[in-house]
Amino acid sequence: MSSFWPWMPLLALAVLYLSWRRTLAYLRYFQQEGYEHLRFLKWVNVRSLTDPAFWLSVVTALIAGRWAAAGAAVFMAGAIMLGYAQPDPRRSGKIPLRLTWRAARVLVVALGFEFTAWVLLTDLFADSDLQAPLLASALVLAAFPLLIVAANACLAPYERQTQRGYEAEAVQQIADVGPLVVGITGSYGKSSAKAMLAHILQFDAPTLAATGSINTLMGLTRHIREELVRGHRYMIVEMGAFKTGSIRRLCQLTPPSAGLITAVGDMHLERFGSTDEIVKAKSELAQAIPPGGWLVVNADSPGALRIARAATHCRVLLYGETSGEELAIRIEDIRFSKKGTSFTLRTKDRAYTCFTPVLGRPIVLNLAGAFTMATALGADPEIAVASMRTLKPVSNRLEVVEERGITWIRDAYNSNQFGFRAALEVAESLPVERRFLATPGCIELGSQQFDVNRALSREAAGICDNTLVVAETNREAFVAGHRDAGREARLVVVPNRTEAFRWIAEMAKEGDAVILENDLPDLYESGAGLFWRARRSAAAPGAAA
Amino acid sequence: MTPATPGVRRTVAVLFGGRSLEHDVSVVSGLQILHALDPAQFAPVPVYIDQQTRWWVGDDLWHTSAFKKGGPDRVRLTEVSLSTGFGTSKLLPVSGGSALSGVASLGRGVSREIAVDCFVPVLHGTFGEDGCVQGLLELGGCAYVGCGVLASSVGMNKRLTKVVAAHEGVTVVPWVSCERAVLERGAEWLTELPRKVGERLGWPVIVKPCNLGSSAGVSTATGPDELISAVLKVFEYDLEALIEPFITNRLEINVAVAGLDTPVASVTEMPVTSQSSILSFSEKYKKQGSKSVGTSEGMAGALRILDPEDLPAELRATAQAYAVTVFSALGCEGISRVDFLIDADTNTLYFNEINTLPGSLAFYLWSAAPYHWTITELLARLIDRAERLRATRRGLQRKPPPDLQLLS
Repeated sequence: MSSFWPWMPLLALAVLYLSWRRTLAYLRYFQQEGYEHLRFLKWVNVRSLTDPAFWLSVVTALIAGRWAAAGAAVFMAGAIMLGYAQPDPRRSGKIPLRLTWRAARVLVVALGFEFTAWVLLTDLFADSDLQAPLLASALVLAAFPLLIVAANACLAPYERQTQRGYEAEAVQQIADVGPLVVGITGSYGKSSAKAMLAHILQFDAPTLAATGSINTLMGLTRHIREELVRGHRYMIVEMGAFKTGSIRRLCQLTPPSAGLITAVGDMHLERFGSTDEIVKAKSELAQAIPPGGWLVVNADSPGALRIARAATHCRVLLYGETSGEELAIRIEDIRFSKKGTSFTLRTKDRAYTCFTPVLGRPIVLNLAGAFTMATALGADPEIAVASMRTLKPVSNRLEVVEERGITWIRDAYNSNQFGFRAALEVAESLPVERRFLATPGCIELGSQQFDVNRALSREAAGICDNTLVVAETNREAFVAGHRDAGREARLVVVPNRTEAFRWIAEMAKEGDAVILENDLPDLYESGAGLFWRARRSAAAPGAAA
Repeated sequence: MTPATPGVRRTVAVLFGGRSLEHDVSVVSGLQILHALDPAQFAPVPVYIDQQTRWWVGDDLWHTSAFKKGGPDRVRLTEVSLSTGFGTSKLLPVSGGSALSGVASLGRGVSREIAVDCFVPVLHGTFGEDGCVQGLLELGGCAYVGCGVLASSVGMNKRLTKVVAAHEGVTVVPWVSCERAVLERGAEWLTELPRKVGERLGWPVIVKPCNLGSSAGVSTATGPDELISAVLKVFEYDLEALIEPFITNRLEINVAVAGLDTPVASVTEMPVTSQSSILSFSEKYKKQGSKSVGTSEGMAGALRILDPEDLPAELRATAQAYAVTVFSALGCEGISRVDFLIDADTNTLYFNEINTLPGSLAFYLWSAAPYHWTITELLARLIDRAERLRATRRGLQRKPPPDLQLLS
C-alpha cells in the first residue's frame, strides 16, 4: 500500500467526478423511459462498453501494471477530460434531463452505489496495488446502467408511497371541485382532439386541459394538483394506454362523465401483442362512463366502432366521414389550401360550413369528434363553428410554416402511418416546386413495422423529390419501398437529424417544401450525446422548437 | 436632485420577465436598462420574474444567454420576495425554497436580504404594466420609476383610456366593446353584435383585446362570421374585446412623453410594421442606420422612421400636444409612448393607445434632436424623480385623525 497516498484519494475524486457526469447522462434516458427498468436496459444494451471512460480504465489498468504512477495519472487526466467533454444532459438533446426530486434521489443513491462498488472492488483487488482502483473503475463503469436500475429499485417503495399520497390528494381535489370530466383515448389523435375540445369548450365554461401530451398517471396527478381550481366546469383528460389496465387506473383518478374515442388502430402493437388487446385496453374508458353518459366514437375506425357497439349502457354518438353507419355528425367536402381546411359538418337536420386554419384530414376528423362532444355537453354549435376559425396549429403537428420562401411542413410529433399519409396528402396538394421528406419512419408496429414503413416509403417516393431516411431503425424498409417504386435514387440515407438538416439546408431553395415527419425520441438515435457533445447544434430553420 | 454622497451607490432593482405574453420582450428591454444604468451612481440588481410570478436574483441574470432554453437555471438563482412592510423596501430570500438553490447560493453570497433604493419595473403587459406590480411596490412604500397604480391600469385598458382622452378633447376612433360575459347569456349576441357593429361602425373592423399590449389576439373582420371568430379569439386572451372601424388607408405614428417636472413630448416616429397597410413615407426616409430596434413590442426586426419629414407640421404638433394631454390626464409618470393613427384619406389624427411601459422605454426617441438625452441620463433623472415622489407620498397623512380614532 505504498502508493495509497496521494494516489487513492485523488483517484477516488476522479472516479466520483466521472460517476456524477455519466450517471447524469444515463439518467436522461432512464427518465425518458419512465424509469422502467426493462425498457431502459433494453435501450442501454451494451452501450456502457462503448463508453470511452470504460476503455480508459482498462488501458490505464494495463499501464499501471508496469508503471503504477503513470497509469493513475493518465486515468485522472483522462477522466477529467472525458467528464468535461460529455454534454450536460440538463441542457442538451431534444428532451433534456429535468432534475426533478425523483431524478435527484436516483442520482444520489446511484452515486452511492457506484462509489461503494468501486471501494469494495478496489479492496478486492488490493494485491495488485494501483491496478486495483483502475480495474474496479472499469467494472463499475461497465455496470453503471445496472447500478442505476438497482438504485431506482431500492427507491421504488418510497416512490410508490409518495405517488400514492399525491394521488390521494388529487382524488380529493377532483371530489372537491367536481368538474365534468371528459376522457379522451385512442391510438392516435387524442392530443389533437383534446386541444380542439378544450378550444371549443372554453367558450362554454371554464375548462382545464393539460397542454402537450400529459397522459400518464403521474403527469395527470401533478396537473390536477397544480392547475385544477374551484370554478372549473370541464376537465379534459387524455388517457394513454401503455398496457391493459392503465386507462382503468386513470379513470379511478379522474372518473369520466363522458368519453371520446378518436381511433383504435395498430399503433403500439409491439406493446400490446394483438389488436384485440388494444381494443380491450381502450374500451376501459367506455366501461368507466356512468349509465346515460355520452360516449362519442369515430365510426371510421373499425376498432373504435367495436367499442361503441359493446357500450350499451351509454348514450353513443358516432361521427365520421366514410363510415356506412348512421352518424350523428358526418364530415363532407374536405378541401385543403395553404390557408387551411374547409369542410362541412352535417347533422340530421342541419349542415354547418366550417373553416379552420389547421391542415390535414385527421384534424378534420378530430374536430368533428370535438364538435360532437361539445354540442352534446350543451355548447352552442354556432359558437363552436366560429371558434374553429381561430384554432392555432399545434406546433409540430402538421404545422405549415413559411420561412425564407421554403414551406416547412412540420409533423415531428406525429408517429403513426395515418398522420404520415395525411402529411403527404397535404404536401401533394400544396403548390410548391419540389418536396423533400425527412423522417426516421414509424416505430412500435411489431411485426408489421417493416411492411408499413415500406409502404409509406413507396408512397413518399411517388410524391417527394427526395426522401431522407434518418437513423437506422427503418432504413432497410425505406430502401425496399423506394426500390418498389423504382425510385431508389431519390432516397438519401442519413445517420441522424443533424445530418438531415445539413442536407436540407444545402438543397432546399425558395419555392420548395420540406416535410419533417415523426421526430423520434433521442432513444432511437444510437445514444446521441450520451458520451460526447454533438459536433454542431442540431438547431436548424424549421426545426422543432 | 441630490445625487447620493459620492462613493455611495444606490441599489436599483430592475424588474423584468413577468406573467405576460410579452415576457421575452421584457427580458430584452430589462437587460438593456440594466446595462444602461450609470455604474458610478447605481448598483443595479437584476430581478427576474418568471411566468409563475416568482422573483429571482442571481448573477446569471445579467446575460441574455441565461434565458435561452427554458429560462435561467433556477438552481443557480435565489428566489426572493418583496417585503411588504411599509417602507422596508427589501428583497428577502424565500426560505424553504429549493435546498439545492440554498446550498448553491451560499457560495455566491446572495442568500442575504437586499435593501433596494429604487425599483425600475421593465415589465410589459399583464401583471407588470397594468398596475399589479405597482400596487405591490406601493404596499412596500418603495420608490419606483414609472406610472402608479391608477395610470398603469387605466392605460392598460384601451376603452377607458379612450373615454379619458375623448373627455380631454382628443380625437379617438369610435368603438363598440363586447365583454366575455356575453358567452353566458345565450346565443343572441351572435346576431346582436354584428348588427350593432354594422350600424355604428360599418365594415371592415379591427378587433382587439381591450387590455393587452402586444398584437396578440388582434384581427380584422369584414363581416359577421369573421367578427364572431375575431371576438372569440380575443376571449382567449382577455375578458373584453374592443371593436373599431378598420381604417384601410392609414399611417401609424408614435410620440413618447417623459414625466419630468413638466411632461415633455419626444419627436415622432413611424413604425414600419406589416400592420400598416400603406407605407407612403417611403423608403427614402429610412435613413441609413436609422434605429433599427428588433426588440420593440410586436415588431421584431421592424424598422422605424424617426421624425418623418413629410409628416405635415400641424399633425406632428397636434400629436405631440395630444400625447402630453393624455399623459397628464391619466397622471402618468416615467416614460410612456402614445400611439396614433392617421387616416390618410382625410388627414385626421386619432389617438389609438398609450403604452405606459414601452419597449426599451422608447429611449431611441430621446437620443435624437432636440434633446440628445442618453438613456443613462434619462434613467438617472427618472430615478431621482421616483425617490422624490416616494418621499412626497410617504409624507401624506395616514394616521387616523382624532375623529376617526374609534378605538382609543
